[in-house]
Amino acid sequence: MRLKNGALSTIFFFPAGIFMLVFLVYPIFLLIRDSFYKIDIINPSLREFVGFANYTNSLTSERFLKALWNTVVYIGVAVGFEFILGLILALLLSNAFKGSQFIRTLLLSPLMLAPLVTGIIWKFMLNDQFGIINWGLYKLGILSDPHQILWLSDSRFALYSTIIADIWLTTPFIMLVLLAGIKGIPISLYESADMDGANKWHKFRYITFPSLIPVATVALLIRMIDAARTFDIVWVLTQGGPGFSSELLSTYMYKTLTRYGEVGQSSAMAVIFIIILLVLSSFFITKMWSPRRTH
Amino acid sequence: MAHMPIKETIVEKPVRFANFHFKHKIWTLMVLVVTCLLALLFLGPYLYLLLTSLKPSAEAVTAPPTLWPSRFSIENYIKMLDYLPIGKYFFNSLITAGASTILSVFFGAMAAYGISRFSSITGSYFLLFTLVIRMVPMISIAIPMYMIIKSMGLIDTHFALILVYTSLNVPFAIWLMIGFFDSVPKEFDEAARVDGCSWIGAFIRIILPVSLPGLATTAIFTFMLAWNDFLFSLLMTSTNAKTATVGISEFLTAYNLDLGPMTAAAISFSLPVMIFSFFIQRYIVSGMTLGAVKE
Repeated sequence: MRLKNGALSTIFFFPAGIFMLVFLVYPIFLLIRDSFYKIDIINPSLREFVGFANYTNSLTSERFLKALWNTVVYIGVAVGFEFILGLILALLLSNAFKGSQFIRTLLLSPLMLAPLVTGIIWKFMLNDQFGIINWGLYKLGILSDPHQILWLSDSRFALYSTIIADIWLTTPFIMLVLLAGIKGIPISLYESADMDGANKWHKFRYITFPSLIPVATVALLIRMIDAARTFDIVWVLTQGGPGFSSELLSTYMYKTLTRYGEVGQSSAMAVIFIIILLVLSSFFITKMWSPRRTH
Repeated sequence: MAHMPIKETIVEKPVRFANFHFKHKIWTLMVLVVTCLLALLFLGPYLYLLLTSLKPSAEAVTAPPTLWPSRFSIENYIKMLDYLPIGKYFFNSLITAGASTILSVFFGAMAAYGISRFSSITGSYFLLFTLVIRMVPMISIAIPMYMIIKSMGLIDTHFALILVYTSLNVPFAIWLMIGFFDSVPKEFDEAARVDGCSWIGAFIRIILPVSLPGLATTAIFTFMLAWNDFLFSLLMTSTNAKTATVGISEFLTAYNLDLGPMTAAAISFSLPVMIFSFFIQRYIVSGMTLGAVKE
């Protein structure tokens, strides 16, 4: 019976398995192999084994470390703001008032928007000549000149401008998950708190917030990993510039591959990147996965 | 005088009640106003893009910028068609996203069924693999995939993108579908088997039809991933198979001073999806919170 089940399982799994073997497992194997070689992109058969040279080159290169630091800043700032905004929105929407359902639906629609389109929207709004953000700030009297802040072409602001776009795009995701978490808190907890005369702050501090911690942890980890993988938004807004001021690991790896044609070098960086993310997410994985799935 | 205390309680009670109601109303009103403001903050940028695309072409990029079009016009939409073969790019997006959705949902459902019904050990290790794949940055896997597609001579073909999108989506499709199949009672399969169906027959005739909501959710997600993809299309296509996202991004480099048509293209690309997602939000929500919120 076990053998029969095993055979049936294999039959059902076969087509998907082939796809994953050829286009996911094999590429990762290639990636690790190529990271030890110096490869000519025009003629990939010309390859020279260089050991760990690509790794040491990456880890000692100032540009790589700068991109790594930018990625850390990007994740920290973006996910931090997304969490605070998402929590506020979730708490507001958890009050059932007339139209709350409708507003929730409206708020969720950006979730389906392509990151590329998000990049385009913000490229338009943050433009230092005709962008509506600068003109708005000027009209409000915050800026003395409508061309004062060069959001995308000043190396002090470029990274934070890309973060603004990210916050705008993905806060609704955090809101959605936290809202689902709030809805899952048993109402009896609040009822007994009411009887003890708890105010709104107490209820948040001692019931809502602690109950949300498990859900919030997972949501934050998913967001951190996705923020680390960001490419489209940054590529459209700044391409990592000006200089390397908004260069993330993803844009730097893309450039290393396509502009400089250094397959080995970009592979080594990719392996380092994967290792960092796996360490970051190992907590998430152990939480989500247990060796024996219970039905 | 003796009846005074009674009078007092009668008078006092409604006052306290009204006061409570009044406070409650103020609170609800505040929540409503703040929520609406925040919702506007999140919808505003997209509405601004929509309004800009409907301005007369010369008005799209002006300093100072205007919020409301002086008159509504489809000039930008006509120009968009003149500048780039945008129709062809949309067609390419549709073909690659559509074909990869069908493949990944079908193969994913098969594999998920196999795992759900016939194995628990392999299945749980498979879930671990899926989670690990979820953590791998797209750009890392794009490097070796590019080399594989190149060695197969498939660069700039629809087939290349279909293969890539299908492989990226299959693990995700399996992950989603396992949950749905686990909720279909095993008695369904057994009844079909008693009636003389083979396992494959039971899967296609009985299990797939009752899992339609799950299939729909999975299809929406896999379609969106392919439809919104920018990185792989940027890397693997040049003229023939270029998809809409890359096409739209070209307005930024090719027509730097005339961005009106670009806003029209971005709206044409995203608005149908936004409207569609508005109506199918139930499915999207269940997919988005999967993993973060235990049902």
